[in-house]
Amino acid sequence: MVSLNPTNQNSLLIRIKIKISQLLLQPSFIIGSILVIILTYLVIAPIISIFSNSVSLTMMDAMLSGGKDGAFTYKYVERVFTSSISEKIFWTPLKNSITVSFFATLIALALGLILASLVTSTNIFGRRYLGFLLIIPYMLPSQAMATAWLTMFKNRKISGPPGMLESFGFTPPDWLAYGPLPISICMALSYFPFAFLLFSSALSKIDIQLEEVASTLGAKTKAIWTKIILPLLIPTTMSVLLLTVARTLGTFATPYILGTPAKYTLLSTSLYSSVRSNESGVVAVLAIVLSLIGVMLLLVDIWVVRKWQRFVTVGGKGIKRQPSKLGLFRTPTTIFAWLIFLLAALGPFVVLALSTLMREPGNFSFSNFGLAYWTGVNVPGMDQPGMFTSPEVLTALKNSFIIAGSASIICGALGLLIGYAVVRLPGTLISGFLRQISFLPYLMPGLAFAAAYLSLFAVARGPIPALYGSISLLILVMVVTYLPYASRSGISAMMQVGPEPEEAGMVLGAGFWRRIVSILAPLQKSALVIAIILPFITGMKELSLVVMLVTPGTELLTTQSIRFLDFGYTQLANATILIIGVVVMISVLILNRVTKTNLASGLGG
Amino acid sequence: MSEIKLNSLVKNFGGNSLAVDNLSVTFPSGEFVCLLGPSGCGKTTTLRMIAGLERPDSGEIFCGDQTYFSSNTGEYLKTEKRNLGLMFQSYALWPHMTVFQNIVFGLDMKNESSSEKDKRFEELEKLFQLKNLKNRYPSELSGGQQQRVALARMLAVNPNLLLLDEPLSNLDSNLRLEMRAELKRLHQTLGCTIVFVTHDQMEAMTLATSIAVMNKGIIEQLAKPMEIYKNPKSLFVAKFVGSPQMNIVDFNDGEQLASSLLNKTKFDKNNVKTLGIRPESIKLTSKDNGDINGTIETIQPTGADWIVGLNISGKSIFAISSDQPPGNENDIIGLSFKLDGLHTFDRNDLKLEAD
Ligand SMILES: Nc1ncnc2c1ncn2[C@@H]1O[C@H](COP(=O)(O)OP(=O)(O)O)[C@@H](O)[C@H]1O
Ligand SMILES: [Mg+2]
Repeated sequence: MVSLNPTNQNSLLIRIKIKISQLLLQPSFIIGSILVIILTYLVIAPIISIFSNSVSLTMMDAMLSGGKDGAFTYKYVERVFTSSISEKIFWTPLKNSITVSFFATLIALALGLILASLVTSTNIFGRRYLGFLLIIPYMLPSQAMATAWLTMFKNRKISGPPGMLESFGFTPPDWLAYGPLPISICMALSYFPFAFLLFSSALSKIDIQLEEVASTLGAKTKAIWTKIILPLLIPTTMSVLLLTVARTLGTFATPYILGTPAKYTLLSTSLYSSVRSNESGVVAVLAIVLSLIGVMLLLVDIWVVRKWQRFVTVGGKGIKRQPSKLGLFRTPTTIFAWLIFLLAALGPFVVLALSTLMREPGNFSFSNFGLAYWTGVNVPGMDQPGMFTSPEVLTALKNSFIIAGSASIICGALGLLIGYAVVRLPGTLISGFLRQISFLPYLMPGLAFAAAYLSLFAVARGPIPALYGSISLLILVMVVTYLPYASRSGISAMMQVGPEPEEAGMVLGAGFWRRIVSILAPLQKSALVIAIILPFITGMKELSLVVMLVTPGTELLTTQSIRFLDFGYTQLANATILIIGVVVMISVLILNRVTKTNLASGLGG
Repeated sequence: MSEIKLNSLVKNFGGNSLAVDNLSVTFPSGEFVCLLGPSGCGKTTTLRMIAGLERPDSGEIFCGDQTYFSSNTGEYLKTEKRNLGLMFQSYALWPHMTVFQNIVFGLDMKNESSSEKDKRFEELEKLFQLKNLKNRYPSELSGGQQQRVALARMLAVNPNLLLLDEPLSNLDSNLRLEMRAELKRLHQTLGCTIVFVTHDQMEAMTLATSIAVMNKGIIEQLAKPMEIYKNPKSLFVAKFVGSPQMNIVDFNDGEQLASSLLNKTKFDKNNVKTLGIRPESIKLTSKDNGDINGTIETIQPTGADWIVGLNISGKSIFAISSDQPPGNENDIIGLSFKLDGLHTFDRNDLKLEAD
């Protein structure tokens, strides 16, 4: 290497000047640096804020018990773990969360594995359709299942119109209507499609030759499954297990709807009530606990994946397994698979829809049907306008579109920009930092992240205004939460394209913007569409992330449905959920149309 | 039509060795220069620095009287402004543009009128036999057609300098011969400077008007192809160019052969570390009639000549004989060495010159 001449001060200056001018000429560097600054604030600041909140005295407590506002204190840590109310706000919810997660995950895993095996590898009737239909529950907002359950099994314990069974004259017992049993079942039915997707894709990736070799050695179908296929699925099983547990822990809607009437609290609902009662210290501690559990599960997952890596056989040639003939079992297994579809997707939809069309629940006489809850004309037993006339619904609909829409567009653009900077600046600090920081939000459950944003943006800090109560805050928090998926897909899209198409344009005289417009954007068109529609779908169904950040006027469809439930307007809540479901389905169809991609790859997140 | 001058170029990717290590060389104007070297020696990096796609850590690059890059003055000319043609190993045709759109892209960048674009496209269409392919997308073309589209796209803007990075390595052997001829013809008609990267010494020998042999980030020798072959300046160049390879021998490994070769030269044993003899400079005669005796191990007739594997007291070498070898496998025959293919190298693996 040419060494610097130390006596020549000028040459050093020139070198620095060159370095800077070179970097400034490089668009990826400029984009990267700006992203670093923005993301540092949006990702790191909330985390710091929540840690500091957990150990500093709130203004309220400072006034009540003396002491300085913001002084260091263990008060909230003690309150959560050792105080007299710790049992109520932490230990019991923790126990309940573990119970529910355990059963929900177990059921989801079993359903996912069985259905994936049936659909990918056997000749059950309608396997082609089941592959798509069985992921529908994943597209419904998580409160759909719970409200459908409530509409069906609700008893007189809580206010509002009676449940369908009740109106038939059968009063469901409390244990069937509320609490751990329905929560576990509803969560399992909401989350099994995730297991189904992962198992299906794992099954189709197993190299068919591994099975063929076994059959040449005399193994029958049963032996091939027990000795080869199932053992090869162990790594996937572990991943599904851990990720489903993480999901169930972070779910808010199901325990809120089905747990609250029975005073059955999970960690997520406990966190929510602390937010409602303005206990920001306790909120911070609970959010940290939730995040730590999330991080732990993720670390275990990474460890498991790494440990089993040598086990994973890549190189399935895309040859499909010959579907095995089920013989006598064909009819029963078919009935089972379609029954699950009925319970998890069609059933809730029909129940929700029926409930909004019947003036009195459970009365199937023709005259009882009508559009009253939609049009607002002659609504029985409440002084509420209908769906089409309610200003609240219209506002929520508008907000949902604005918030999910802007968040998804920003997310898509950010994802590609991050991808650009990360891939074009390989080996630099910026690249590594962007990669890591855009992944960080993945570690925090939505509720915890929202709590952090609440504490960060409740008041103005420096040049950043207080955003609480504004739509921008909701957009912002959505963008940051979905960033891990957006940046991951942005990075992989940029990797796939590689630098050459852009360089070929550079050589022919195309400047930066020209390259983006004529070369990169068209090449990334489908990646961009996916990167926008996926967050949009997630955003439309999002509840746990936004439920504690909305204020009157910034309600979304999802939170509005919870408000309706709170007031006992079950039908309106159900109608709202139906609207969300329809919007999401349409988006999914557009996505399929535009990209022809497999949903499995997209909805994995 | 301009010469390319590289001065003390250094490029480090952060590993413990430099990708390009203080490289200085001048490629004369109008030459067809082949940058020849084993994979990983820094050829692509050098080419990309000339194109401006990679920035040197230090050094200077000039093209004619234009400064492309200089770490002394801080000058740097953007790739977009260098007016050069670059062809990637993968061709990098844009999959979302038709053949026509790909080819006229450079003209678009210069805001040429559409009649000008059509005119230029027709010329190139003829030159590269792209009739009827105008509206196809790259995925609908064969490998050879893609190659020709990439060439046409590069030439559409009349670049001063053409840079090609192993453009023939994705083609099958027939097509490769055809494209070699095409490139040679192109160079003769255009007359512009071409820098062509390859790791295939045969390709370099047949195509180039100058070969630059590269090793570990530096250029070991720049010369006309026959000069490289006849007078390699270093052991590396001697070994890299020629097929079958030059026979290499030293005093630890083939003492007897080495001494016999050394006797033919006027160098002292103390100065010489390694000796090399080209296979075609070994003449096969009957036993005891040559400089040394050896046993025939293998005979591979190629049609035009015979490649004969020989063993001289444990050391295996190859000879090429244009006559039927004077014996069969396991026979002992005589070998005599011709001076023109005999090379001696010193302790630094540099050629010892007979003054
Ligand atoms: N972008 C890069 N990042 C890190 N190392 C690189 C990069 N490009 C090339 N190298 C390294 O530099 C050396 C020279 O590479 P290259 O110029 O591609 O060789 P060649 O084209 O002669 O095969 C190799 O050791 C390679 O690993
Ligand atoms: Mg290369």
